[in-house]
Amino acid sequence: MTLAYFLVVAAVLAVVSLFYLGISQNFQVRSDANLAPRIQPIDIEAFRNLMDPAEREYLRRRLPGGEFREVQRRRLVAMAAYVRTASQNATILIDIGNQSLSASDPQTAEAGRQLADNAHTLQVNATYALFRIWAAWLWPHFDRPTITILNSYERLNGSAMLLGRLQNPSAPVRISATS
Amino acid sequence: MLQAHSLLWHYLWLAPHIYGLLLVALVWRNHLQKQYPVFVFYLLFASIDGISLYVLDVAPGIDGNIWWGALWVGTIVEGMLKFAVIGELAHHLLRSWPSIAKLGRSLVSAAGIVLVLIAAVAAAYSAPDSAPWFIGGAHVLLQTIYLAAGGLIVSMFALAAWLHIPWERPAFGIALGAGLVWCEHLAIWALIAGGVVRNRTWVDFANMGTYHISVLIWYYYLLVPEKKRPSKTPPKDRSDDPPVDPPSASSSSGAPQDHEETLNDWNRELERLIHQ
Repeated sequence: MTLAYFLVVAAVLAVVSLFYLGISQNFQVRSDANLAPRIQPIDIEAFRNLMDPAEREYLRRRLPGGEFREVQRRRLVAMAAYVRTASQNATILIDIGNQSLSASDPQTAEAGRQLADNAHTLQVNATYALFRIWAAWLWPHFDRPTITILNSYERLNGSAMLLGRLQNPSAPVRISATS
Repeated sequence: MLQAHSLLWHYLWLAPHIYGLLLVALVWRNHLQKQYPVFVFYLLFASIDGISLYVLDVAPGIDGNIWWGALWVGTIVEGMLKFAVIGELAHHLLRSWPSIAKLGRSLVSAAGIVLVLIAAVAAAYSAPDSAPWFIGGAHVLLQTIYLAAGGLIVSMFALAAWLHIPWERPAFGIALGAGLVWCEHLAIWALIAGGVVRNRTWVDFANMGTYHISVLIWYYYLLVPEKKRPSKTPPKDRSDDPPVDPPSASSSSGAPQDHEETLNDWNRELERLIHQ
């Protein structure tokens, strides 16, 4: 009998979540025209340093065990913050890509699809990386670099550049001039 | 009003199935059956099955065992079709996204395995029934099917929400309607199989009423075209403008030009990364 009540509660929660997830997602994708300003730029160099296995190895050799674990845990917390930001940026880029799917120009639509597809990979890798980071937080000596997230980030670059170029052809010229 | 064989009872049993047959015809006319052949076949089968069970129920001289036999056959075939519909929806959801298609299918399959295990536990703990085995067994079978099917639909919605995967309008409508009716049926059959509710007419009204709402949801999403959003103005060609530093994300005012500037900011950040 308890199981029956449990299943009833689960079914009610399932219906509520269906409507919440489905309708809120549809509404969000369709109504948000101002997505790009929400992107938070990431300090890639600092991110790379945190992920660098040589850096970790250096600290491990130089510091006593207890101190190394404390420092490494702080680095892991910082790493998690970077990964979360990358994940949030990926979500925004997915929505930007999804919005471009309905573009009249087929090249822009395809670029949007590719951007969203690469951002999906980044999103998945970020989730996986977060699991590994928190596992490493529990056991700092077992830490392994989560390089896949940087690779995804690099792939995302090409897609974002292509879509940006198609949406505003003059932009790449200006980027070259200022960078 | 909420009595068996009342006018409302007859309407709620028959009308959704007749509407279902009509929807199959309308979908066929719009050539949507080419995109969703499994769902169209499921709807056709469910409608014919529902009408057949109604005729067997009201026709005089039909043995109760025949009705239960028809229910068993219909439930098993419909159960298989439900899982085929879920497969079709997953295909439509993931086909445009090769990077996550495999992961998505694996996650939905894993959810399916977990749900089947839960359904097996729920079946093992269902309350014993003094009715013949084929009546109690049908209750447990229905609970098992709706637990797995409803859970799979929810897992697909969760996957789509997590990765912001856009639904195609008809697929979204099919999933929403199916999710609503399958979860409601799960609650009702769990109460019946668990021995909490037995021989109450209101459960028929709840099941039939929810199915009616689902059919109306399918009508809306399969037949009413999506409202077109106002088209965006084409980007302004600023090739003659002098180069300027893009603003930071936090200082953006949200104007369209800021939107482009911040996208440039993002692009430049990525450009820097690739040249490292």
